[in-house]
Amino acid sequence: MIKDPANLTILKTGPGTSVQDFGRIGFGQFGIPISGAMDIRSMKWVNHLLKNKENEAVLEISQPGLKIQFDAPTQICLAGAKSNVFLNGQFIKSEGLIGIDFGDILEFGAINLGSKIYLGIKHGFRILPVMESKSFYPGILENGNLKKGDQIGYFTNQEKPKPSPVKVIFNRDWMLSDTIVAYEGPEWQFLPDSTKAQLEETKFTISNLQNRMAIQLEELIPNSLEEMSTAAVYPGSVQLTSGGKLIVLMKDAQVTGGYPRILQLPEDSIAHIAQKRPGETILFEIKRGFDFSKPH
Amino acid sequence: MVGLIPTHTIISPSISELKWDVEISDRLLQIQLAVKKLLENQFADEIIEIRIGFRTLGILWHRIPDPQQLLHFLNEIKDPLTDPLSRKTWEIPVCYENEFAKDLPALAEAKKLSPEELIRLHSENSYRIHFFGFLPGFMYLHGLPELLFSPRKTVPDRNIEAGSVAIGGSQTGIYPTNSPGGWHIIGRSPLSFFDAKKLPPVWASPGDLISFCPISKEEFDSLKNSSFQPTWK
Repeated sequence: MIKDPANLTILKTGPGTSVQDFGRIGFGQFGIPISGAMDIRSMKWVNHLLKNKENEAVLEISQPGLKIQFDAPTQICLAGAKSNVFLNGQFIKSEGLIGIDFGDILEFGAINLGSKIYLGIKHGFRILPVMESKSFYPGILENGNLKKGDQIGYFTNQEKPKPSPVKVIFNRDWMLSDTIVAYEGPEWQFLPDSTKAQLEETKFTISNLQNRMAIQLEELIPNSLEEMSTAAVYPGSVQLTSGGKLIVLMKDAQVTGGYPRILQLPEDSIAHIAQKRPGETILFEIKRGFDFSKPH
Repeated sequence: MVGLIPTHTIISPSISELKWDVEISDRLLQIQLAVKKLLENQFADEIIEIRIGFRTLGILWHRIPDPQQLLHFLNEIKDPLTDPLSRKTWEIPVCYENEFAKDLPALAEAKKLSPEELIRLHSENSYRIHFFGFLPGFMYLHGLPELLFSPRKTVPDRNIEAGSVAIGGSQTGIYPTNSPGGWHIIGRSPLSFFDAKKLPPVWASPGDLISFCPISKEEFDSLKNSSFQPTWK
């Protein structure tokens, strides 16, 4: 099998396009955020279809307007948010495998459902990992967000792949659900019952203050808890600030914090909330304990 | 050992936390480090990473073992044999001159100290490194004299230069990279505190001590231009 180096060029992009994999797992002890794809579920699906390693780096796209040119044939795969995708000006599906030929131009228009699009590529991107990850993070793996003119390497076998006869469906029903599963965080136990009830009953609105570090929710919750001694926080930790704001930490979040951690979202819920847009509402379904007999 | 017994809470299918309800101290850190080591040895295949907090150990798991087995193990180590803390003291050169210490005059005034007294108080103590967090390579230090405790700024600065030495609340710290921040800036170190190309990317470890050593602007410039590495004694 030929695997020659090739490049794609960013012809146009909004903010928030970056390369992500599972992130820097196990480097939090040095103060390094985990980073990685916000929606691991969609990222895994993309790599699975491409027969890549499940941790292969993908492009995470969070704004319409991205336009990419490929200089050599390859196969790519899309999943995550549903958007208007054009290949050389022709409208194409926004999920599944796509064959790419010499000089093909791929363009992303409006996002219709969800918030983050994932673009994987056969054999992955040619990027030297830093601390076991190709995920961009300022000061660690530079060029945080891709900009116009940037190039990213990949591998080509010089031949446009034949369309796959297998029809696959990327089911986005889970993105429509407003129920986000969460576990009780370490400081949940100190909340008064009335606040606990409020957390379970309130429809929280995703605010405009949302990025790869955190998603802030609009509705305020009374906070009677004191700040605590600094402790570890993780993607999915939900902090209650002294002003009563809820902050859902995401993949580029700091690794320690002093605000009470009242909820903890598991990976699937992080993927779920990552696909929510500002103005959409969510409801926390708070799980108490879990079954150890099941694999997780 | 009363009071030094942690509680263990399973938070999610991949996260659990040990918590000690006692004051922050060297003794507590010693116990945290001992328990961390024991857990890492016993559950090498199950644990991804253990992270120290001032009064916690946060454990990230590939899979959490059977709770009974875990509970049994934790009960056995409630009174661990602890190694003494590190005897390493890293000397951090810091220039406290005006150019690098924009908040020092106001802070000294608020504390009814002369700038020289403030510098003396800050640099004659040694500080224990408890863990890294906030920013890559940022050391959480314990040991700031109470006289220097100072509430964080209500409006954070938009950019604090890498190497800046600051006081916030009951802590002092060094910004390893440029960052916004709400602490009072009292000096700057010419050293590099984080290098993503190295493994580990930091030169100190939790449990080590650091001390600040006042230097002149000239010394700062010459150290900044050399590849000076911090030393310990």
